[in-house]
Amino acid sequence: MKKLYILGLMAFVASCKPNIEPEKPTKGDGVDFSSYVAVGNSLTAGYADNSLYRSGQENSYPSMLAEQFKTVGGGVFRQPLLPGEYGYPSAKLVLGSRQGLCDTAASLAPIPYTGALDTVGSSINIFNTAGPFNNMGIPGIRCIDFVIPGYGFLNPYARRMFASPTGSRPVDEVVVAKPTFFTLWIGSNDVLGYATSGGEGPTAPGGTNKISDVDQFNAAYDSVLSNLRRKGAQGVLLNIPDVTSIPFCTTIPAKGLMLSKNDANLLNNAYNSLNGFIRFNEGANYFIIEDSSVPTKFRHIQEGEYILLSTPQDSIKCKGWGTKKPIPGKYVLTGNEVTKIKTATAAFNNIIYLMARRESLAMVDMNSYLKTLQTGITFNGAGFNANFVSGGAFSLDGVHLTPRGYALVANQILMAINNKYKSTIPLVDVNKYKGIQFP
Amino acid sequence: MGSLLLSTAMAYGAAFQLNLQGVRQLAQGGTGTAVPWDASTIFYNPGGLSALKNVNAYCSVQFLSANTRYVETPTGSYSADSKAKTYTPFNFYVGGPVRYKSKLSLGLGVYTPFGTGIKWDDNWRGRYVIQDIQLQSVFFQPTASYRFNDVISVGAGFVIATGNVKIQKAIPLQSGGQDGMAELKGNAMGYGYNIGVHLRASDNIQFGISYRSGVKMKVKRGYANFTVPSSLSGSFPYTAFKSDINLPQVVSAGIGVKVTERLGLQADANFVGWSSYDSLIFDYETNTASLTDTRSPRRYKNTLIVRLGANYLIGQKWTVMLGAAYDPTPVRDGYLSPDLPDNDHIMTTGGFVFKPNKKLAIMGVLEYVFTPVREGSLNEAQFSGRYQTKIINPGIGLNYEF
Repeated sequence: MKKLYILGLMAFVASCKPNIEPEKPTKGDGVDFSSYVAVGNSLTAGYADNSLYRSGQENSYPSMLAEQFKTVGGGVFRQPLLPGEYGYPSAKLVLGSRQGLCDTAASLAPIPYTGALDTVGSSINIFNTAGPFNNMGIPGIRCIDFVIPGYGFLNPYARRMFASPTGSRPVDEVVVAKPTFFTLWIGSNDVLGYATSGGEGPTAPGGTNKISDVDQFNAAYDSVLSNLRRKGAQGVLLNIPDVTSIPFCTTIPAKGLMLSKNDANLLNNAYNSLNGFIRFNEGANYFIIEDSSVPTKFRHIQEGEYILLSTPQDSIKCKGWGTKKPIPGKYVLTGNEVTKIKTATAAFNNIIYLMARRESLAMVDMNSYLKTLQTGITFNGAGFNANFVSGGAFSLDGVHLTPRGYALVANQILMAINNKYKSTIPLVDVNKYKGIQFP
Repeated sequence: MGSLLLSTAMAYGAAFQLNLQGVRQLAQGGTGTAVPWDASTIFYNPGGLSALKNVNAYCSVQFLSANTRYVETPTGSYSADSKAKTYTPFNFYVGGPVRYKSKLSLGLGVYTPFGTGIKWDDNWRGRYVIQDIQLQSVFFQPTASYRFNDVISVGAGFVIATGNVKIQKAIPLQSGGQDGMAELKGNAMGYGYNIGVHLRASDNIQFGISYRSGVKMKVKRGYANFTVPSSLSGSFPYTAFKSDINLPQVVSAGIGVKVTERLGLQADANFVGWSSYDSLIFDYETNTASLTDTRSPRRYKNTLIVRLGANYLIGQKWTVMLGAAYDPTPVRDGYLSPDLPDNDHIMTTGGFVFKPNKKLAIMGVLEYVFTPVREGSLNEAQFSGRYQTKIINPGIGLNYEF
């Protein structure tokens, strides 16, 4: 009888505690995550803050995905980790206090990291000691580069991680780890180089600042995808974001030239001979940019044209760029150049879309998703948007993402996988990762 | 920096209205509008006060513990438990006829009709929504009641409401991987009233109707303290804030029937005007580009609570009581927040009264609340999950009849 009381009491105490449990993750149908290979460029490598460094790699979206895949039979995930945090080959950017030549006070700005140079030896190939690698994100690589033999000669990141850096094509290297599942996010650099150089790509052959030829893109993409699919691997394709919607293009407003009435008058007098072609008012004005297609070789910038984040701020503030002197073309995307970028992006994304359909694979529309950042995304109470620094998603180079930004990407991929294969892989806890770090 | 400080989702739900103002009433499912058991009728129906023959003094305390578990959805492997904590809502009433057989009765009630709190781990996944929230209120209600005749009596009380609020949450501004933090603290004050009519239709049947007004709890000068990276401290100054919280009006009607000499049954219905809680506004005295006033939609809906209770006299000294109630949640889908992950409440109660002599009553009660598992999201914060809450609430009380 006494025992019965004790049992009853225990049952009662237990009934006061909640007992719901999380769903057990399931793998889904017709998919095998035992060997996951991520193919891509800097975005896949975990590049951030204008460089590649170890913690960035550790927080790459493929690394996050591999962690989630482990709940449904995912295997070991090897990355070509750099030895340190400095950044390779050049220093990463950190937020710090910076006082420009003509600034009256210091302000918060991205500045080069000044910590210990701990990336010595990063140029050495580590395939034999640490490979083969599951993260085949190669910073700088274009889609059309995947079929170039000996690409390892051209790219230090590739040279570092390839099985045969001197002779192979990237398209051969991506299957060395024998993928059973892959993500493929290539193509951004086929247009990004053109954009970040203000559309002023070098005319020399092989220059990477030109927009890639669509047919070459198509052939190279097909080649990579076919190679990944040869042994029946499943995977997800990601299309490429419109680079004109990233902070690198959108941070400096076209109409961001603030003038006093006096300064506006002085400038109007100086440009008096042009009969009002150049005209300034008190308040916000459109900057003056270089444009070889007009007779004067310069004009006001217009809405829909972009001044790049790479523009030297001191030159604007001290040397009269944008007012007395036009901002050089390599820091500006004119309407014509923007059209070329958008046309190419649409063409490349159409190829990716058709390939996904041909192979019956899931495709993540990263272009649309990153555009939703313009209006803002909230995850578990933390807000993200496309603003430079304060937006939290883009890193200090205005092109690549923060770990939290990459985690948002990982979740888009996971949702596509769960949808396609009827799996229930848990989403990444975005806020577990770091956002922008303030001093 | 936009509105980095997403408005704190401070919410009151079915759980926030405590309905614990008398041991006998609670033990009978929270019924009490029709039957003036003792001085606690000052809360349940001021009109019942003049039905008491003598001056009564009453005190009671509850020991409420609520356990909530959060489980990530739609997929996931994450769960979190709220920190165990016991809350002690209390009640004190004194009142009765100004002299023997007087038609006028006076009384004072001090009680805690609203209160809530939940504390999660500082590093849990909902930390940007809430880490810790504590809300307390104490109402003071001087009351007068008048008995017209043996059938009808009326009563009215003036309510002076005091309260305090404390909110803590993380802010997604990091330095060296550490989140920032916001702490808001303030005292609140408000006024209201409580009126009621009591009818003794016959020796065996009683009716009651009461109306408790809404109370606008005003935080006139709370303080917000932000811990942020030093380079951003200028954007998040230590500042005062203002806020109003509109506590709902409650209309109650009840019936009490004496079925036999020993068995009594009661039924109550409460209409709760939760729609008063439409949004929560924080108005900061010092605004910056990063620290803007916040307006957070709550959109609570009105609810109707149904209560049933029974009491049975055993011998001369002991009474046992049982009850149940259905208290639907005012929280709409899309507004389900971890600061009060509310759902419909199904409460079951039981208790006893021991009267060692004619004047003293010693009372005990145990309440157990079932809340079905609720899955939903706080759309504003894009925070979704499944919640399960279990509440256990024992209490004791004394009433002395002079």
